[in-house]
Amino acid sequence: MEGFFQFLQSSDLGRQIYQTLFYADRWSWYLDGLKLTLELTCGAIVIGTLLGMITALFSISSFAPLRFIAKVYTTVIRGTPTTVQLLIMYNVIMVSSTNKLLVGTLAFGINSGAYVAEILRGGIMSVDKGQTEAGRSLGLKQWQTMLYIVLPQAIKTSIPTYTSEFIVLFKETSIAGLIAVTELTKIANMITSQTYNAMVPLIVSAIIYLAVVMLLTFLFGKLERRLRKSDAR
Amino acid sequence: MTQGKYEPIIQVADLHKSFGKLEVLTGITENIGRGEVVAVIGPSGSGKSTFLRCLNLLETPTSGRITVDGVDITDKKTDINKVRQGMGMVFQHFNLFPHLRVIDNITLAPLRLNVAPNKEAARKAGMELLSRVGLADKADSFPVQLSGGQKQRIAIARALAMNPRIMLFDEPTSALDPEMVGEVLKVMADLAKEGMTMVIVTHEMGFAREVADRVLFMDGGVIAEQGRPEDIFSAPKNPRTREFLSKML
Repeated sequence: MEGFFQFLQSSDLGRQIYQTLFYADRWSWYLDGLKLTLELTCGAIVIGTLLGMITALFSISSFAPLRFIAKVYTTVIRGTPTTVQLLIMYNVIMVSSTNKLLVGTLAFGINSGAYVAEILRGGIMSVDKGQTEAGRSLGLKQWQTMLYIVLPQAIKTSIPTYTSEFIVLFKETSIAGLIAVTELTKIANMITSQTYNAMVPLIVSAIIYLAVVMLLTFLFGKLERRLRKSDAR
Repeated sequence: MTQGKYEPIIQVADLHKSFGKLEVLTGITENIGRGEVVAVIGPSGSGKSTFLRCLNLLETPTSGRITVDGVDITDKKTDINKVRQGMGMVFQHFNLFPHLRVIDNITLAPLRLNVAPNKEAARKAGMELLSRVGLADKADSFPVQLSGGQKQRIAIARALAMNPRIMLFDEPTSALDPEMVGEVLKVMADLAKEGMTMVIVTHEMGFAREVADRVLFMDGGVIAEQGRPEDIFSAPKNPRTREFLSKML
């Protein structure tokens, strides 16, 4: 290890890498940052999926006020920048909260919910209406037909778009630094402010994002192939 | 009119149905008898499918009255789900549930609607139905792995799993390759022999002639002529029936 560090010190780039990752064990900052980024993403996707499901069901409801609520929610959220939503959540709605991670998770969750709702609504619409008729003709109630026949098919069709929403969300949490959550991008900035060098810290962050995205893409691909089992000849 | 030997199970009185400005059914009054097999024939756009779909309220009639087993299903207070449990329906495009295995397609409704007491009983009943349509070996296949004729036989088994008293068929063989029509008609003919009440919208004139107790000829949203198949097919009275049959046969 000593030898490797001495080798690093022998070039300019090497010195920057040493400063960014190894001096004072700064690599562990990245781990902490990644942990926060993942916590934000996972918390937000859970909230977003729940909100999205409810909103999607609202949007296809035969009861007009529910459709209206769904429409307002998706229009407002999709029509305003995530950054502005995050700052409103932090500085206005939850100004008394000291838990920045919670504020961030909620803001990203509510944001994601609007997109998940549209993804799911599209999935539900894509299920042939003969499926509903078959279910209803057997005597199943509207909600039973939705739950056991339409939704499973709608979710399956939605998965490719849903996983890309997950990936978009994962990357979007990089703005959480604005409300002082020390996630991956914020960590890069913090290290830059100590080493007076921006290139290596940012590239390290970028590489970590990329690695996680590639891993997620791989995992979701597997999931998709498993779900596709019933489509295979 | 129902012939003497049948007690009516479905009674339709002055049924009208419009889609927007388009009047599809313009006043149908008809009884279907218990155990009767009725074939509904007629040119496309004559309203046959709409008539059939009104019988289980997949289409809501614009006006008129339909009673099934004495229950007025056009009354808003009627629990239509309950009535539908007793009326199976088979569709032109099968509408099997693609995400479920064949056996689960069949047991879904009996399980969820508590017609079967438990999973084992539902599966056992489902397997018996599959044997009846000759497809017991396909229980664990997915619909996409089946041919059209097999899919339609599964769809019939699925409808039968609810122990219906009435079966509605909406052009059950129209989407099939010609060589697969026979296997589906065979299952339907067996069902007719067992005394099931059946209403069949069909273009299979040979089948209607052989299996049906009565044939309804629809044209322009009304029943233009009806009678025993031998009369309708050999000596149609209405010129429109004659013209239609001459094109079909």
